[in-house]
Amino acid sequence: MATERGTIESFGHVSRTAGTVFRYLLLAATLFGIVALTVLLIYVANDAIRPLTADPGWHLTFLLTLVLPTLAVGAYLFRTDPASFRFGGAIVGTLAVSTMFAGGVAMLFVDIVEPVTWFAYVLALCLALGGVVVIERLDRRLPFLVRFVAAGVIVLVSLLVVPGAVTSLPVYPSDGVLLTLSVGAPIALVVGRYVAAADGRRRRVAAVVATLVVVGLGAFVGPLVGVTPVPATVVLAVAVVPTGGYAIGRIRRNPERRAGLGLAAVILGGTVVGAVAVDALGFAGPQSWVDWGFLTSAHSGTAANAGLYPAIGGSILLMVTVAALSFPLGVGAAVYLEEYAPDNRLTRFIDVNISNLAGVPSVVYGLLGLGVFVTYLGQSTGTVLIGGATLALLILPIVIISAREALRSVPDSMRQASYGMGATRWQTIKNVVLPRAFPGILTGTILALGRAIGETAPLIMIGAPNVLFSLPTALSSKVSAMPLQVYAWASLFASEPFYQAAVPAGVVVLLIVLLSMNSIAIVLRNKYQSDQ
Amino acid sequence: MTDEPTGGSTSRRKFLTAAGSAGALALAGCTQSGSGGDGGDGGDGSSLSGTIDIAGSSTVFPLATAMAERFQSPDSPSGHPEVNINIQSTGSGGGFANHFCPGRTDFNNASRPIQPEEEEACSENDITPVELTVATDALTVVVNNEADWIDCMTVEELRQIWSAEDPPTTWSEVNSDWPDQDIELYGPTDASGTYDYFIEAILGEEGPGHRQDYSATEQDRTIIQGVEGSENAIGYLGFAYYSQNTDRVKALGIDDGDGCVEPSLETARTGEYTPLSRPLFTYVKQSSLAEEHVAEFARFWLENATSQSIVADEVGYVPLNDEDQQATMDALESAIENASG
Repeated sequence: MATERGTIESFGHVSRTAGTVFRYLLLAATLFGIVALTVLLIYVANDAIRPLTADPGWHLTFLLTLVLPTLAVGAYLFRTDPASFRFGGAIVGTLAVSTMFAGGVAMLFVDIVEPVTWFAYVLALCLALGGVVVIERLDRRLPFLVRFVAAGVIVLVSLLVVPGAVTSLPVYPSDGVLLTLSVGAPIALVVGRYVAAADGRRRRVAAVVATLVVVGLGAFVGPLVGVTPVPATVVLAVAVVPTGGYAIGRIRRNPERRAGLGLAAVILGGTVVGAVAVDALGFAGPQSWVDWGFLTSAHSGTAANAGLYPAIGGSILLMVTVAALSFPLGVGAAVYLEEYAPDNRLTRFIDVNISNLAGVPSVVYGLLGLGVFVTYLGQSTGTVLIGGATLALLILPIVIISAREALRSVPDSMRQASYGMGATRWQTIKNVVLPRAFPGILTGTILALGRAIGETAPLIMIGAPNVLFSLPTALSSKVSAMPLQVYAWASLFASEPFYQAAVPAGVVVLLIVLLSMNSIAIVLRNKYQSDQ
Repeated sequence: MTDEPTGGSTSRRKFLTAAGSAGALALAGCTQSGSGGDGGDGGDGSSLSGTIDIAGSSTVFPLATAMAERFQSPDSPSGHPEVNINIQSTGSGGGFANHFCPGRTDFNNASRPIQPEEEEACSENDITPVELTVATDALTVVVNNEADWIDCMTVEELRQIWSAEDPPTTWSEVNSDWPDQDIELYGPTDASGTYDYFIEAILGEEGPGHRQDYSATEQDRTIIQGVEGSENAIGYLGFAYYSQNTDRVKALGIDDGDGCVEPSLETARTGEYTPLSRPLFTYVKQSSLAEEHVAEFARFWLENATSQSIVADEVGYVPLNDEDQQATMDALESAIENASG
């Protein structure tokens, strides 16, 4: 065209300024929220932990024993052997998260459920399951209904009779022994399964016995060296055994990652050496508000003595209730909608509604809980059961949506292969779809629980108390929760000491719990994705 | 754990047998007696256990919390750590209507006496409230620190400012010495006992009523923040919250005809600071008093109601004098007798 006029226009110059500006504007938008939140969190963490109140000698000691060696070994491993580096990090991470988890479990056994009650129910459940298995194996020719009724009767009788019988015994083993059997044994069986899968059945018995011995140390040796047996047993069973099992199992499979153990040893050893050194040298640590007293005492009118213990226990109990209610309901609904439901208007209507329910504000669910459970069903306000049920309703749509996502990601070819081998739909779901989708379902559920643990509005609506001095002991006890306690401190005890001590400390504890729950979910998801 | 000896099956069997018998022996040594009879909640009186549910006034809430903290403290020798006390701040009226009269709580805190219709609602559910006076509160009228043109206000001026009838919009409409600036008003919501008390003491029950074009909040902190933020603001709130924030806002003296009286613990106790000092109550369900831990907590609260360190220093109210304490304790004891008899 241009040639017709006899002139050729040059390409000219296209400015890149606009594009560059646009790019950096987008970058700024990306960073804005993150930076704002980071600044706030650093501010809060500084208020709560107060690292600057420590002796310079304290910082120096830990710099020399912990930070520098970790940096040196970590940097070396990271450059030469990234797999070992990740392995070492994973050991430390597992130990940290599982120790925290063990703390929560130990709290349950110290203050809420007596070990003998727990033992009695575990025993009842074992007997019931054993009975069901025996019936299933005994005679496959019996009609389904007969087996079903018989199994039901065995479960009912066992659950109704055994706990009462055990708890009324005049003499029973000490708490540590009971926990070794009722917490250690199931964990030993799980360890045994893993060992059997990896090393063959020959090693299984050895692994089970070794686990029981390690857990039993808490019960038998603990009292001799002055450690309370109940927490010791729980920490050994829930933190030490899984971490050790993970480390040993991984090394047996990938001996070349052994160097990772070095990193873990440097971090843990550095912590211990540093702690011993500052103690010996008399360097004072930071006067942190998040200390043992804060974690183990109840609310107080003076901010410095105020603690989070009842709220932590309340949050744990609420989470147990929420998980017990929302997991079966949510996964059940998801399996039905994905595997059974026909594609018709009703299903699509339910689909749309579940997505909408996920976006309903939490205060509305609180109102629902108040209306249905308190006003209509006449329950008393603010109990564990009502709080748990309300929060379960709140996260149910999220659980359903994420479980459906996980079920959908199971390739259809696997279902077809299962059908092709003559399996029924129920067998296909049970043996093929659910095992494959399970990690994804678990990830979604943990993330949803993470949302529930941070909720305040529904608990206020259902009338949870602002201040509570001891842990709830039954489903019908009043319950507080961590965010609710922080809210009470910020609103009802509004004064400078509470703003500077109790509120930031509570926020830090809440965030640590949340982040570790999310990290479990992320680890599960990554493992799941790499397995596929 | 997989480092167990890897011998043949014989050695493992031996090992298992040995471990098993050692375990059985150890097990036999590690027993405890069953909880068939004991359980800690016996009637020996030394260790009480049970639950106490408390709801009601946000004004009495910090006082109830301070008492409960001491009552259940595991650190003190006379503490009852087995007693589970939970306290909710719902406002006096909300507590009576939604918690106390339906029978969901044992105590209801109130910053005003129970009203006849509330008593009726309670008696419909066979609940007899027992009134216990626990402290005296003083309402405080606050203005901004920068407002140097005002230190004192008559009851009539206060009434004029907050009245729903013909409410002034500028300070100069109330008093010509005051600046010609818009008044910004901060106060508690109508669910609060503080609001009811202000109407009763200043505006009069039959009076024009409380104006509604003000910033109403359930949180005393928000009132302080609002008044702190504006030179032309005025607000009223409980003395306890003011006493923790004395440097942020300025309290006005009140002239009830006998000259200006500053709000303080002293002037409230002596009754000089009229009409803005008031008694605080907790109502206990008479039938709950039959339970020993509830009765014991009520006694504990009244025994400490004269304590300067708890009531005045920690919470900021005026403690009872000995006469009032004795009268209230007599009422409590006869109610306990009625309940258990």
